Amino acid sequence: MPTAKPELRRHSAEHAGGSKPGASRRALLALAVITVLASPLPVSAQEKVTLTLWHNHPEWKDRVLAILARFEKLHPGIHIDLTEMPSSAYVPRMNTALVAGEAPDIIALNAGPDTRSAAEAGYTTDLTGRLDVLTLTPSALSASQVNGKLYGVPILGSYTVGLYYNRDIFAKEGLTPPATWDEFFAVAKALKAKGIAPMIGPAQDGTIPGFLYMLIASSILGPDGLDAIRQGTRKLTDPDVLKAAYFLRDIFQYFHQGALGTSYTEGKALFALGRGAMMEAGSADYAGFTTTNPKVNLGVVPFPAPPGGKPSTVTGMQQVFGINSKTKHMSEAITFLQWMLTKEPAQMVVDTITLSTSKEVLPSDNRVMVEMIQASKSNDVRVWFEFPQTGKVFSTAGLKAQSLFLGELSPEDFAKALQDTVNPAAK
Amino acid sequence: MTALQRRLRQYGHLWFTLPGLVFFSVFLVYPMLTAFRLSVVDWNGLGNESRFVGLDNFREALTSVTFYRAAWHNIVIFLAILVVQHTIGLFLAVQLNARPRFMEVYRTILFLPVILSLVATGFIWTLILSPNIGILNPFLSDIGLGFLAQPWLNDITWALPSVIVVQAWNHLGWAIVIYMSGLQNVPRELREAAQIDGANGWQRFWNVTFPLLSPAFTSLTVITFIQNIRVFDVVYVLTGPIGSPAGRTDVLGTLVYRMAFGAAGVTSADIRFSYAIAIAVLIFIFMLICSTGLLYGLRRREVEA
Repeated sequence: MPTAKPELRRHSAEHAGGSKPGASRRALLALAVITVLASPLPVSAQEKVTLTLWHNHPEWKDRVLAILARFEKLHPGIHIDLTEMPSSAYVPRMNTALVAGEAPDIIALNAGPDTRSAAEAGYTTDLTGRLDVLTLTPSALSASQVNGKLYGVPILGSYTVGLYYNRDIFAKEGLTPPATWDEFFAVAKALKAKGIAPMIGPAQDGTIPGFLYMLIASSILGPDGLDAIRQGTRKLTDPDVLKAAYFLRDIFQYFHQGALGTSYTEGKALFALGRGAMMEAGSADYAGFTTTNPKVNLGVVPFPAPPGGKPSTVTGMQQVFGINSKTKHMSEAITFLQWMLTKEPAQMVVDTITLSTSKEVLPSDNRVMVEMIQASKSNDVRVWFEFPQTGKVFSTAGLKAQSLFLGELSPEDFAKALQDTVNPAAK
Repeated sequence: MTALQRRLRQYGHLWFTLPGLVFFSVFLVYPMLTAFRLSVVDWNGLGNESRFVGLDNFREALTSVTFYRAAWHNIVIFLAILVVQHTIGLFLAVQLNARPRFMEVYRTILFLPVILSLVATGFIWTLILSPNIGILNPFLSDIGLGFLAQPWLNDITWALPSVIVVQAWNHLGWAIVIYMSGLQNVPRELREAAQIDGANGWQRFWNVTFPLLSPAFTSLTVITFIQNIRVFDVVYVLTGPIGSPAGRTDVLGTLVYRMAFGAAGVTSADIRFSYAIAIAVLIFIFMLICSTGLLYGLRRREVEA
């Protein structure tokens, strides 16, 4: 725009010299319009590229936008257009968009089968050698690879699932968080006797029962035992592992009233509002708890173990973010993912959202995340559904748990139904 | 005039159906044919990798207890709604047809649920029936009827009836409108003639008015059948994707959704897209046969005014 002004003045002066006043004004106006249209835009506005990104945690939106704002400040030529949607709607919408060729530039997929299917179908780009992934933890790197090639990175961290407890309720009742199954029952009985719901157990959609089974069985099996299940050398119907099904059935009596009619989302809100003393949940849920109730005072421990077992946690990737193979902005998308792997955004993730997948950062001011990291040192196991051999155990447990709770399915039949979904030959 | 010219003159008007036919073919026929093609392969919904499996998906569905349980719930919902439509709906239509004061207000109130989306309907009733935030049970307690309070959506006895009530509330407006239009076509002379012959109110309604409502009865029955065999939204919002509790509200719509997109948002490991499509094709065939049968059977008993 500044370059246009002398031109404008010069032309104005010429026309002012002797032309008719009306013609002069029209010429001046036309010239002004042409000059404005032709004037060079600032470089940043001219080259601004918009990358689209879909994500499945609406409760994190402000925190994710804060990270994106920081990126855009450092990279003024790139804008990230974020669309948040509930996790229940995410998979249908993303899968449909992938098949229709209408997926966003940055494709966030659940680790495991989703990432593999999208990579094998050519929806996501092979990023091997195009991203520096030295900062990633080994499990994060492993979850991002398909057949040894890199198809994305978990830029919004990972989640570890353990047992949250309401510190105010426990302090008021003089209780300590349980570490064993016996302690769990003792604490639950004491709370129930006081009219407090011992555990928020939303069981309507199967998510929490599925995670509970993974946690309980993991406290018996550990990582090596899970490997044995995957290889087919151990079974979920083995007498010691069968106890997990019995324990899941037995703790249902300590779920809050109306558990079978409570969805996962509703259950998280109930727990944040102090309507129950304990809840199985992940590091990724903490942001939602504090959004619902900023004053909630929570602590977290690994899930209690049976005699001889070790209290356990399970860990999964908070989605793997790849690049749409049809994107028109490949270099900008790589710039974005690479920046997200640096220390500053990784620190923002662990301080405001969930655990980081970066080896370089630790929570600076987030007690619950520190407790979660501590909890995961006991007996941490990868979430079962990220492995092709045990991919369906979680969803089958979620589907069948209600029948187990209501006594329509015996623990033996429940364990058999889960074992039937294990496929050691799957790759 | 040549034969071609004669034919063009005779059938030229059919060209006007072309835009509609193209629209119908692109958005309905083509997707349906694609669905039939996908139902005979093994495909997880992503990528190009699929394997021809013939009729295996259909065979599996037709030998699955879950499929029959879901179908049974659809039939129970249909029959219950049908009774509500043809009794309460007809009764309200007759009352409104008598043009009481504020008829427009009543009609608007009764038809309002129909224009609400089924998802919105589900959310509204969740706020009423939820075990945690529902207002019905506290309200019953407050007015001294606490003994009537029930765990509406999480009890194996009450969950399906609760879904039926919500579905009936949403669909009642259709019955009223269809029956009202039918009532307005019943000639007054016939009723007056019956009255002169000494027939009382009930006899006039049952022997004169009701037989003449048979076209409305046919339309409403077929519409109700189609709406309730494909019900999904209300069930999904009220009781979730697995038809809580313990599958007691699982319907074919939630079964198809679960197979096509997974029950939980955290993994797609259990997705079986082709199997879901095979179930959808079975639903289509079932609906086609039953709707045709209903239309054929009910049209035979229709009475012309």
